[in-house]
Amino acid sequence: MSPSSTSESNSPAPVATVSNWTLIKRMLGLAWIYRWGCIKVLLLQVAVLSLGLMALGLFGLGVDIIQFHINPKAKVPAYPLGLQPPPDMPVMNVVFLIAAAMLVLALLRAALTYQYALASNHLVQSEIVVDLRAQVYAKLQRISFRFFDTNETGSIINRVTGDVQNVRLFVDGVLLQTVVLVLSVSVYLFYMLHIHVMLTLACLASTPLLVVSTWLYMKKVKPATLKTRELSDVMVRTLSENIQGIQVVKGFARENEEIAKFAQANRNVREQQNWTFWLTSVFSPLTSFIPQLNLVVLLCYGGYLLTHDPTFTLGQGIIVFAGLLRQFEGQVTTIATIANSAQQSLTGAQRVFEILDAPVEIQSKPDAVRVLKARGTVRFENVTFGYRAEEPVLQNIDFEVPAGSSIALTGANGGGKSSLLSLISRFYDPDQGRILLDGVDLRDLDVDDLRRSIGLVFQESFLFSHTVAANIAFGYPRATREQIEQAARIASAHDFIMELPDGYDTILGERGNGLSGGQRQRLAIARAILLDPPILLLDDPTAAIDPETEHEILEAMQSAMQNRTSFVVAHRLSTLRRADRVIVLEHGRIVESGTPDELAENSSFYQQATTTQAPDEESLRLLGLDLEARV
Amino acid sequence: MISKLHKRIHRAASRNGGTLGYPDAVANPQSRRRVVARQKEQGKSAPSDADTSQLTHAEFDERGAEMRPLEFGLIARVFAYMRPYRARRNWLLLIVLVRSLQIPALAALFTHVINGPLIARDVRGTLLGAAAFLLLAIFTQVTLHFRSRWALELGEAVVHDLRRDVFAHLQKMTMSFYHRTPVGRIISRMTSDIEVVRSLVQDVLFMSMVNVGQMIFAAAVMFWYDRVLFLMILGLAPILWGLNFYFRRRLSKALRAAQESFSRVTSTLAESVSGIRVTQSFVRQNFNSRLFLSQVVDHSNFNMQAAQKSGALPPLLELNNQFFMVGLLLFGGYRILGPGVGAEIAPVRAEALVGYYLMSATFFSPLATIGNIYNQALAAMAGAERVFQLLDTPPEFADKPDAIALPPIEGRIEFRDLSFGYDPDHLVLHDINFVAEPGQTVALVGHTGSGKSSLIQLISKFYLPTSGQLLIDGQEIRDIQSASLHRQMGIVSQVNFLFTGTVMENIRVGRPDATDEEVMEAARRLDVIDLIETMPEGFHASVGERGEGVSLGQRQIICFVRAMLANPRIMILDEATSSVDTMTELRLQNALATLLKDRTSFVVAHRLSTIQDADTVLVLDGGRIVERGNHHQLLGEGGVYANLYRQFVQATAV
Ligand SMILES: Nc1ncnc2c1ncn2[C@@H]1O[C@H](COP(=O)(O)OP(=O)(O)O)[C@@H](O)[C@H]1O
Ligand SMILES: Nc1ncnc2c1ncn2[C@@H]1O[C@H](COP(=O)(O)OP(=O)(O)O)[C@@H](O)[C@H]1O
Ligand SMILES: [Mg+2]
Ligand SMILES: [Mg+2]
Repeated sequence: MSPSSTSESNSPAPVATVSNWTLIKRMLGLAWIYRWGCIKVLLLQVAVLSLGLMALGLFGLGVDIIQFHINPKAKVPAYPLGLQPPPDMPVMNVVFLIAAAMLVLALLRAALTYQYALASNHLVQSEIVVDLRAQVYAKLQRISFRFFDTNETGSIINRVTGDVQNVRLFVDGVLLQTVVLVLSVSVYLFYMLHIHVMLTLACLASTPLLVVSTWLYMKKVKPATLKTRELSDVMVRTLSENIQGIQVVKGFARENEEIAKFAQANRNVREQQNWTFWLTSVFSPLTSFIPQLNLVVLLCYGGYLLTHDPTFTLGQGIIVFAGLLRQFEGQVTTIATIANSAQQSLTGAQRVFEILDAPVEIQSKPDAVRVLKARGTVRFENVTFGYRAEEPVLQNIDFEVPAGSSIALTGANGGGKSSLLSLISRFYDPDQGRILLDGVDLRDLDVDDLRRSIGLVFQESFLFSHTVAANIAFGYPRATREQIEQAARIASAHDFIMELPDGYDTILGERGNGLSGGQRQRLAIARAILLDPPILLLDDPTAAIDPETEHEILEAMQSAMQNRTSFVVAHRLSTLRRADRVIVLEHGRIVESGTPDELAENSSFYQQATTTQAPDEESLRLLGLDLEARV
Repeated sequence: MISKLHKRIHRAASRNGGTLGYPDAVANPQSRRRVVARQKEQGKSAPSDADTSQLTHAEFDERGAEMRPLEFGLIARVFAYMRPYRARRNWLLLIVLVRSLQIPALAALFTHVINGPLIARDVRGTLLGAAAFLLLAIFTQVTLHFRSRWALELGEAVVHDLRRDVFAHLQKMTMSFYHRTPVGRIISRMTSDIEVVRSLVQDVLFMSMVNVGQMIFAAAVMFWYDRVLFLMILGLAPILWGLNFYFRRRLSKALRAAQESFSRVTSTLAESVSGIRVTQSFVRQNFNSRLFLSQVVDHSNFNMQAAQKSGALPPLLELNNQFFMVGLLLFGGYRILGPGVGAEIAPVRAEALVGYYLMSATFFSPLATIGNIYNQALAAMAGAERVFQLLDTPPEFADKPDAIALPPIEGRIEFRDLSFGYDPDHLVLHDINFVAEPGQTVALVGHTGSGKSSLIQLISKFYLPTSGQLLIDGQEIRDIQSASLHRQMGIVSQVNFLFTGTVMENIRVGRPDATDEEVMEAARRLDVIDLIETMPEGFHASVGERGEGVSLGQRQIICFVRAMLANPRIMILDEATSSVDTMTELRLQNALATLLKDRTSFVVAHRLSTIQDADTVLVLDGGRIVERGNHHQLLGEGGVYANLYRQFVQATAV
C-alpha cells in the first residue's frame, strides 16, 4: 500500500506527498523537544571517546618509556601536558603510575559506556517511541474511516510499530550519529595530524575509496534484499494458501502441481539469495582490505620516519597511529549507515506524519448541539454519497422515519444498505443533501452524543478479547453489573452467558472465539442497547448464522427494537414483514418502498423473494399448513 | 483473513529491527561492526567471520527465542543435508583451515615487521615485510570471499532442500493433521525455524571453526613470544567467557519478556484497527488510547530492563581489553625493568609487548564471537528439532502400497455398518448404512454437529472409517488410491477457497490441462458466464487473498465452475450456498441443478428449499441416520424433518 494512497479518496484535504525538506524540518522539531536527553547522550558519548583516546595515548607512552629505558639510543618519550616525572623516580614506578592511570580511565570509561547505553535507550525507547506511538494511536482512533478503507491492516499496524521506530532513528541514528561522526573524526584527524601530517595524509589517501565502496554496497544490496523479501513473501504465501486450501488441494488431487508451484517459489528465493550473497562476499573483503592497505602504508612510511625523523617513536608513533587508524576507519564507514538511516527515517516519517496530519473529517462543530436524549425521528433529504468522487453509492435518498418506528432495508448485495446505515452514525458525511435527527442536521450535532444515541449491530460483530461483561459494557465501561445483565436479558443472552464457565467474567478468545455465531450476535445486541439508545441500527445480523439458530436472534432483535427507531437490513420475509416500512435499495437508489403489505401486492423484488423462499403447495399440505394462512 | 492479518503483524514486527528497543549502536567508535552486522542481518545474509565479533542487537532480537542444549543427533541430521553438496563442503572445510591460519599470521607478520626490520631501521627489510603483508592480506581477502560465499550458498542450499522436503511432507499429511495444527504454527516451521537452521550452517558451523582455529593459532604464536605473559592471557580468557555466558543468559530472559510485551502491543493494535468501527460507534476512543499508552509504557519498561542487561556486557568486554593492556604494561614492564629477573626465565623483550598488543585482538575477539555463536547454536537446536519433528510426524494413514487406481467410476457409494470418530473413543457417526446409486442426489439434513460434514469427509477419504466399510463401486475405500478417487470427485464447501491468481487459473484447478475454451464452456453450461464476465477483467480478474473486490457470490460461482470443469462422477456440496444473498441464490439454483445432473451427489444445505429435489434425504441426529426418504415422504411421516421444515416455513412466511 503506497503511503499516499489516501489521496485517492475524495477526502477534503488530500494528503499529498510531503517534500523531504519539510519532513526533515519536522523531525528536527521533534528532536528539539528531546534536546536535553540528546545533549546528555552526546556528552556521554564524547566523554567515552576522549577517555578511549587518553588510554591509547598512555599505552603508547608506556611502550616508549620501556623502550627508552632498555635502549637509551631510542627516542625520548614525550610526556603529555608537561607532566615530566621527577628524574630520580624509578622507571618501574613511572610505568606503574601509567598503568594505574589507565586502569582508572578504563573503569571510568566502562561506567560511562554503560550510562550511555542506558541514557540513549531511555531517550529513544522510553521517551520518543512511547510518545510517538501514543500520539499515532490516539490519532488512529479518531481518524475517519476513509483511511481504514484505503489502507490494509498490516500497513496501519506497521505505522505504529516499525515506522515510528524509523522516525526516531532520525534522532539517534542520523542526528546524534552525525554529530558524533564529525566530532570524533575531527579529533582522530587532529591527533593523527599532530603525530605526523604527511603520514596521516598517506594513510588516509584510500579513505574515500572506503566510503564509496561501503556506500555502493548499501546501494546495491538494498534492492537485492527487498527483492529477496518479496520472493520469500511469495513463497510463504504459496505455503499458507496451500494449507488454508488443503481441502481443495486434496479434493482435486492437486498435490503434485502444488509441489511444483512451491518448488518454483523456493528456487526463486534461493537464486535471488545467491545473488545477494555474491554481492556481500565481494564487498566485504573489499572493505576489510582497505584498512589493511593502510597498515602497509603505515609500515613503509612509518618505518621510514622511524629512521629519519628524530621525534617519531614506536609507541606514540606507530602503535598509537595504528590504533587511531582503526578507530578512524570505523567511524568513516558509518557515513553510509547514516545515509541509510536517513533514507529509512524519511520513509517512516512520511507514513507517520501522514496519520498525525490527517484531518479528522468528522468532528463536532464548536457550537454543536448537545443531544442528551433524542426522540429518534430520522430524515434523509435527497442524500447522495460515494466513497470515491464520481462513483455515488447512494443517490437521491429521501425518506423519513418517525420516532419509534422500524424500517427494513433490503436488496441485493452491494446495493448500498450498509452505506446508508453508516451515514446515520455519521461515519461519513453525505456529498449532497442532508440527514436530520429530530429536525437537526447531523453535522450540527455533537458527534459523541449522536453516536451514543445509536446502537449498532453489524453483520459479523467484532468482539474484543475481554470478558463478556466488558464486551457488553464496551461503550460505557462504568456500567453496573445490573445494567449489563438487564441489557443481556433483553438480547436473550443472559441464559447462555450464565452457562459459560465464568458467567459474565468469562474471557472471550480473539474476536469472540469460543462462541457460536448466534451467541456473538446476541452479545453484540446487548452491547448496542446497554445505553438504551433511541435509535438502533441492525446491519443484517443474521447473515452469518444458520437458520436453526436464527430464530434465537430474531427474538432478541424483536425485543431490542421495541420503542426505538430501528433500521434493520434483512433478506428474510419474516423480518421484512415485521417492519413498519420496507425500502428496497438497488444500485444506490430506492427502487421500491412501502409497508410490507403494499409491497407484497405489487413489488417484483418482493415476489421474487417470496418464490425462492416459499415451499411448494404439496409440502404445505403435508405439513398441514394452509396456503391462505400465510398471507 | 485472520491468518493474513497475523502474517502481516508478524512481518510488521519482524521487519521492525529496532522494536525490541535496543539503542542502535549509536556512537561508540567500536560500533561500526555492530551496525554493519545489523544491516547484514536484516538483509538475511551472514556477515564475514570477523563481523559478528561484536554483540549485535539484531542478534539479540532473534536469540531471544527458545533454546535447547546442543544435540549431536540434530547436528548430524543437518549435516546430512549437505551430502548432495559434499564437494563444496569439503572445499569449505579446507578454506576454513586456511583462514584460521591467515588471521593470526597477518597479525604476526605485522608484529614481526615492527619488531624486526622496523626497529632495526632496516628499510629494505621493512619494505619486503610490507610487501609480504600486502600479499598475505590480498590472499586473506580472497579466501574470505570464498569462505563467506560458499558457506552462505551452502546454508541456502540446505534450507532450500529442507523447505522442499517439509512441503512435500505436508502434502502427504491427512486432514486430521490440518485440523489439529494451527496454520501459523506450520508457517513458522517453514520460516523462523528453518531460518535458524540456516544460521546453523552459515554461521555456527564454519564460523566457529574459523574462530576456534584462529584462537588456537594466536595462542600458539603468543606462547612462542613469551610464556609468562601467555599465562596472564589464559587467566583472563575464562573470565571473559564466563562474563559472556552470564550476561547472555540473563539477557535472553529479559528479551523474551520484552518480546512478549511487544506482542501484546501489536495484538492490541490489530484488534483496535479491526474493531475501529465498533470503537468509534461506541465512542471509546479516549479509553482505548489510555489502555494502549499503558501497554506501550509497559513494553518500554521491559525494554529498559533488557537494556540494563545488554548495556553492561560491551563495557565489561571493553574493560577486559583495557585490563589486558594495563596488565601487559605492568607485567611486561616489571619483567623487563624489574629487579627480580632471574636467569631461569629469559627476560622478555620490549618487542614482545608490541606483539602481544597486536595479537591479543585475534585471540580475544573470537571468544566473544564464539559466545555469540554458541547462543545461536542453541536457538538453532530448538528450531531444527521442531522442523525435524514435523518431518518425522507420519501421516495418519497413507495409500496402501498395493492400492488400486480406480477406473472411471459409476458412482455407487455404499456405507456398511460404518462408525467413525475423529478420536476413536468419541464416535461422531454410528452404524451408518445406506447406498447411493449412481446418479442419485442425496441430501444430508440435521442440526449443526449432527455429523453431516464428517460423513462427507469420509467419502472424500480425508479420514478413514473407524469401523465398518465404505465402498465405492464395490471397492473398499481403504484399498483405493486417494488421487484416483479425488480426480473423479468435485467438492464445493462453505469456505470458498480461492488461490491467488486469476479466475481462469482458479477454475483450472479442477482440471489443469483444460483449455481456456473448456473453462468458458463449463461456465456457460452452468449459465453463469455473464456473472463472471461482469467482473472488471472477466476471466482474468485476480482473486484470492488480494482479490478483495470479488464478492462472496462470485467466489461461490467460481468454485462451482471449478467443480464443473473437473466433470466429476461424485459431487459434494457442503453448505455451498449458505453465504450468498437471496437474489444470487436464485441464480445459483439453476446452476446447481446442472451441476448435480447425472452424478452421484451429496448435498448439505441449510436452506431446505435446495433439498426438495433430492432423491433421498438422510436426516442425521447425533451421528445416526434417524430418517430417510424423499422430501414429501418425510413430510408425510411428520418426524424430525417435518419439524425442521415447519420451522423454516414459519421463519420465512409468518
Ligand atoms: N469502505 C468502502 N470503500 C469503498 N467502496 C465501498 C466501501 N464499502 C462499500 N463500498 C461499495 O459501495 C457499494 C455499496 O456497498 P454496501 O453499502 O456495503 O452495500 P450492501 O450493504 O447493500 O451490500 C458497493 O459497490 C461496495 O463495493
Ligand atoms: N476435525 C474435527 N476434530 C474433532 N471433532 C470434530 C472435527 N470436526 C467435527 N468434529 C465433531 O464432530 C461432530 C460432527 O460434526 P460435523 O460433521 O461437522 O457436523 P455438521 O457438519 O453436521 O455440522 C461434532 O460434534 C463436531 O464437534
Ligand atoms: Mg452490507
Ligand atoms: Mg458441517
